[in-house]
Amino acid sequence: MSDTAIRITDFYFAYLNSDLVLKDINLEIQKGSFTAIAGPSGAGKTTLCKAMTGIVPHYYGGRYHGSVEVLGEDIRGRKISEIAMRVGIMMDDYESQMVSLTAGEEIAFGLLNHGFSPEEVDKRVSQALADVGLPGRENYQLDELSGGQRQRLLLASVLACRPEVLILDEPVSALDPDGARSLYALLYKIYQQHRMTVVVEHDLNYLLPYMTDLVLISGGEARVQGRFEAAARAAFAQEDLRENLPELWLVKLGLEEKYQVRLGSWRTEEEAEKELLQKFQGGGKA
Amino acid sequence: MKITAFTKLILVLAVTAWVFLLPIPAVATLLVLELVILLYIKRDRMTMAAIGTLTVFTGMMVVLQLLFGSPLYVALTGGLRMFVMTTAFLCLLASTRIQDIAQALVEKFHMPYEYAFMLTTALRFVPDFLSDSAITLDAQSCRGYSNRGNAFKRLYAYLAVVKPLVMWAVAKSDTLALSMELKGFGPNTYKNRRPMRLHLGDYVTLVIVIVLSTYPIWVKHI
Repeated sequence: MSDTAIRITDFYFAYLNSDLVLKDINLEIQKGSFTAIAGPSGAGKTTLCKAMTGIVPHYYGGRYHGSVEVLGEDIRGRKISEIAMRVGIMMDDYESQMVSLTAGEEIAFGLLNHGFSPEEVDKRVSQALADVGLPGRENYQLDELSGGQRQRLLLASVLACRPEVLILDEPVSALDPDGARSLYALLYKIYQQHRMTVVVEHDLNYLLPYMTDLVLISGGEARVQGRFEAAARAAFAQEDLRENLPELWLVKLGLEEKYQVRLGSWRTEEEAEKELLQKFQGGGKA
Repeated sequence: MKITAFTKLILVLAVTAWVFLLPIPAVATLLVLELVILLYIKRDRMTMAAIGTLTVFTGMMVVLQLLFGSPLYVALTGGLRMFVMTTAFLCLLASTRIQDIAQALVEKFHMPYEYAFMLTTALRFVPDFLSDSAITLDAQSCRGYSNRGNAFKRLYAYLAVVKPLVMWAVAKSDTLALSMELKGFGPNTYKNRRPMRLHLGDYVTLVIVIVLSTYPIWVKHI
């Protein structure tokens, strides 16, 4: 059985009356990976996410060429609500995605629409709220929840459908740094429970401790993709992609280039500090 | 005694009929009863404000009727009837979740699910809309928006707040529509919920409704 969860082949897409947003995308995202998709504003990251869930071209329309296979199935002609049960997506404008008045109903909405029994719905609602750290808040009105809690609630509503793949488009764009770090820590916990995760994030510093794979998009093209370390090195080699890398890795790869050394695969500042103190203590060369 | 949204809706409809069927002293008693129930359910500032506004509005209606030549008795009974009908709705809204009302409308009154869903969604976005309008007002004030001058000038200046708000609302509705599509919105939205079951309280209430609604018939024959 193939290890590829999402395979995009020769994919081109343009919205109605617009230029190409995605060009010649050939992408494979592996099962079990925590993949980050990064790139400058307007690069096509959000559209790529939407292509993975069939939202483009099926919902928005537009011109396209190529194919998108998700979990072994071509998504052409499939209903996006059916795809969403296997590939859950959380879009960036979280406020407008909520359709109900209370937390419990928000999570139950999708499940009821897909024909789950009320008993099963209740079970899944409680479980999903507990999973995102909001246990027992079924009857809370949406306006009783903070921005961060609403974000988690939306995540819970996606998780309740138990999708095999989780796609999040800039999930922390409206959160403060502490809230963002806390949401990603939670997301990593969820990922560890065997749920493949794809995150669009322009600030890779947040994702550095967690990501296993990296895709860098620029001008609608997937310029770099693969395991994080190899992809980061490939991005560092291209002047215009460097700025997308996490700051810690800019330092690491810069040091490696300057001193011709090989440093560890840093994921946290502590790891970097420890290695740098060992190798460069006293001003000596490694 | 707990009663379902369905029975409450029937009760509100019945009250609308009773104000015309029952004698005026009975309608006045109904009003007292409604006010007691309303204040028992919710005694906050909003409820008081609603009662206050309703009183002013009723007063205006009575005065208007008098100005148009209606006798005092007719004007007063007209005002009383309107007050009783509206207070019944206030009782319903104060005691029932809007989602339960929507479910009752779909399940028992066979209202199309799209319309029922509009009820809950409209309410869901009221706080968002208020917060967006406050943000827009602040932002436009920083750019020179002022609500000074006569009514026309103020109305014209307010367009600077309305335009971005409308654009914002359109963008949000697009995301909402996509979200609903992803979540499979359709006839199942209400069909798969726990069915609304009537309890003893509902049956007792419905019997009272039938008895009072047939008052003109049995008062003639008994």
